[in-house]
Amino acid sequence: MRMDTVIIGGGLSGLTCGIALAKRGQRVAIVASGQSTLMFNGGSMELLGCVDGKTVTSPLQAMATLPQGHPYSKIGVDRIATLAERATQLLADTGISMTGSAAANHWRITPMGVAKPAWLTLSENFSIQDLDNLPCKRLALMCIRGFFDEPNGMLAHGLQQLGFEVDKIEFTTTDITALRRSPSEMRASSLAKHLGGNSALQRVADQINSLASHADIVLLPSVIGQSDDDGYRTLKTLVNKPLQLVATLPPSVAGMRMQTLMRHYFRMLGGNYLMGDSAVSGTFDGDRLTAITTAKLGDMPLKADNFVLAAGSFVSRGLVADYERIYEPVLGVDVDADTDRDRWTSFGVLQPQQYFRYGVATDQQLHCLRQGKPVANLHAIGSILSGHDAVKMGDGTGVSLLTALAVADSITAR
Amino acid sequence: MATNEIYNKEYDVIIVGGGATGAGTARDCALRGLSVLLVERNDYSTGATGRNHGLMHSGARYAVTDGESASECISENMILRRIARHCVEETDGLFITLPEDDLQYQQTFVEACQRAGIRADVIDPDEARRLEPAVNPALIGAVRVPDASIDPFRLTVANLLDARLHGAATLNYHEVEGLIINQDRVQGVKLLNKLNGEHVEVHSRVVVNAAGIWGQRIAQQAGVNISMFPARGALLIFGHRVNNMVINRCRKPANADILVPDDTVCVIGTTSDRIPIETVDDMRVTREEVDVLLNEGVKIAPSLASTRIIRAYAGVRPLVASDNDPSGRSISRGIICLDHAKRDGLEGFITITGGKMMTYRLMGEIATNAVCAKLGNTAPCVTAQQPLPGSGEGYDDQRDTTKRYSFGQRAAIGRHGSLAARIEKDNDIAGALVCECEGVTVGEIKYAMHQLHVHNLVNLRRRTRIGMGTCQGKLCSCRAASLMGEINGNVKAAQEDLAAFLDERWKGMRPVAWGDTLREAQLTAAIYEGLCGLDMAVDLKGKEDVQ
Repeated sequence: MRMDTVIIGGGLSGLTCGIALAKRGQRVAIVASGQSTLMFNGGSMELLGCVDGKTVTSPLQAMATLPQGHPYSKIGVDRIATLAERATQLLADTGISMTGSAAANHWRITPMGVAKPAWLTLSENFSIQDLDNLPCKRLALMCIRGFFDEPNGMLAHGLQQLGFEVDKIEFTTTDITALRRSPSEMRASSLAKHLGGNSALQRVADQINSLASHADIVLLPSVIGQSDDDGYRTLKTLVNKPLQLVATLPPSVAGMRMQTLMRHYFRMLGGNYLMGDSAVSGTFDGDRLTAITTAKLGDMPLKADNFVLAAGSFVSRGLVADYERIYEPVLGVDVDADTDRDRWTSFGVLQPQQYFRYGVATDQQLHCLRQGKPVANLHAIGSILSGHDAVKMGDGTGVSLLTALAVADSITAR
Repeated sequence: MATNEIYNKEYDVIIVGGGATGAGTARDCALRGLSVLLVERNDYSTGATGRNHGLMHSGARYAVTDGESASECISENMILRRIARHCVEETDGLFITLPEDDLQYQQTFVEACQRAGIRADVIDPDEARRLEPAVNPALIGAVRVPDASIDPFRLTVANLLDARLHGAATLNYHEVEGLIINQDRVQGVKLLNKLNGEHVEVHSRVVVNAAGIWGQRIAQQAGVNISMFPARGALLIFGHRVNNMVINRCRKPANADILVPDDTVCVIGTTSDRIPIETVDDMRVTREEVDVLLNEGVKIAPSLASTRIIRAYAGVRPLVASDNDPSGRSISRGIICLDHAKRDGLEGFITITGGKMMTYRLMGEIATNAVCAKLGNTAPCVTAQQPLPGSGEGYDDQRDTTKRYSFGQRAAIGRHGSLAARIEKDNDIAGALVCECEGVTVGEIKYAMHQLHVHNLVNLRRRTRIGMGTCQGKLCSCRAASLMGEINGNVKAAQEDLAAFLDERWKGMRPVAWGDTLREAQLTAAIYEGLCGLDMAVDLKGKEDVQ
């Protein structure tokens, strides 16, 4: 099989790059092993949330201080604003409606009621523009009976700390009660499956309307709409008060929906999404990668003019740590990582962990390096890149989206 | 009993230390009709009790080098099978000879076992491979012995429960700051309540020092010198149970030569290093220890090489030099009971130390005998006959395999024996699973909080195994923290507790943080810091002091 571009990895960065290339008429294949870390995304994108332990309010300004090795520095900070706008548009094209601005962070509300800086948040999710100027006073926090993946006490406490009055209201419906009979079914994804129909949504709305009549805004755990936001829009019309959702513990319904919508859109553009397959090895010729093999295609190699490595970090097995070393397992490209195992991690679980900054080594154009030399037609994007820290810097999803678009530009510029 | 009522009573005996030995002594004293208070500075089973293999020795391991310990082990082994059925899994054990070992040793070993009264059957290597498919297939000899697997957390809790059922009071998070001494007589303890910072004095006629390696410090507070020789041992927990029988190397005891199946996992250990007494509170496992354990472990069961390691931990054995040998050259692994009236002229003070988790009951009996002799109590010891709570009446009924139980109920019966009947399960919420790896339900958490002295998530883990499975508490710890926060009405504390719990899990994961364990750590960070912002909600240590 011959493609214009083959992308290894079908998560946020791989899909974004694939969509951008397919839109420009490229024949694109994405090799996607399965789960994406979007499963752990509550419905927000972060551009830059924290630098040197300080909260960032204006990401575009704060970016100027990032070190040379940071992916944003490689893209060029002057391009970030435009790329950010294009990313927002691309997400909207797929059906993911998000609000926010790259110039000023807003605050997303986490399942523990913490306000964290964010660039984009799903329109349906509760977020706050200005912590000194709250949008309302009274919140009704709807707690689903027997659902433990929303830590309601912590959420309510956090919201109170921010200055809201919070009524915690427990409720159930016949659908939820039926689901509860199986002790392991009370997960956000199962709830979303069973609360999808209009009559089930009506029963949720009836509960909310009878129990939460005094609130300015009603908050509900994000358990509606695994494949689109129709469920949320229906429920919104059925509930008498303004309704907003709050992220839950994984699996995230909103994250799964983002993944699904992007995949559908990519396929609609003619892209090949090879689901459940994984890249095994690559064939190099001089400074070029000519083909990769995958687990399912066996001895039928995937050939292409360009390749993009978007396989994610350790969680997604884009990087592998064994007893002695850290390496990139498919193509054997160079990594930026310490060789001494004791330096990978720190004591203290909440301390910065060095391994978060490890990743494949790239040149300024994000070409992968192999034995120290750039591979001319192989780029890396997203979490597999070295030099950033999704957890401590709040730059993970931003790096995924923007490096994907930047690399799509370089590929099509030739 | 309210804590203030506990402080104001005067006791026959106060026991210092909430490990297996302290708990066993408290139970024995209470069963003989004494009024008892047990105090523990941390949680129960925090020291060596909770930091070993979970191996119920047959005694075979000591047969060649220490016949007395071996006899004690086999005798206690048989007793525990009766009185602590819900804590024991009857796995049996193999002593294997590998090509690099001396097969001659097998004969010496079997004869020594026979002398100690331990059944030891030489079996064909083929038979060993059939009985235990995980064993190194290169073995050239094997002996089958009655080793078993035991849950020390469960065992300790069962002893404490029984002590309480017989009138004893128990306090965790109470540290002994000093002893009350009047004219060469110990009359009680000065305590710090670590939960609220309060200092109190509690009086008793006798104090028993059952503080393990920390017993040297307690003795010092009484002006008495005991020379402890802390021997540190590190162990690794693997992500699933590769073996069903205990596997030992048939050679002189050395590093990492025992692999024990424990519940859903298996444990290889130990190393053995003498350490300075000042460092006994530093339980961090080093890279060198991990390397030794891994290299040796693979020789016992080759599949360990490709099995995920979920955790490393270390404990300190409280070995004691005998009084006529202060240099410590002939350190005993046997039980030491010191009556300080005879030894040091200090009345009302007894130290029970040395020994093994395995012989905790016997240690309790010996210490209680010494207490009773002082108090003129002549009641006989019944701890070897009377089953522990959980293994008594109703036990067989609960184990009835023809009955239908949910996963959570089955798991709870495994952990609490007949006491599982007390766990609320008749409504849809109580039966909901909080920890999917270990089958812990809402009902079991409530039971543990109300009946088993649970103040935080680490306590809860020791009582229920929550967060001990392969995910090491990735999601269940948040669910449990949230639940506990709502029941206790203190959400802020629950959040801090959650962070502390994750930190405690990380301590064990960090030394083995590669492969899937590193992936699990990254995922946990992505969830708790990235998604939830727990780091912003709690104030552990600031970010600024690190970078």
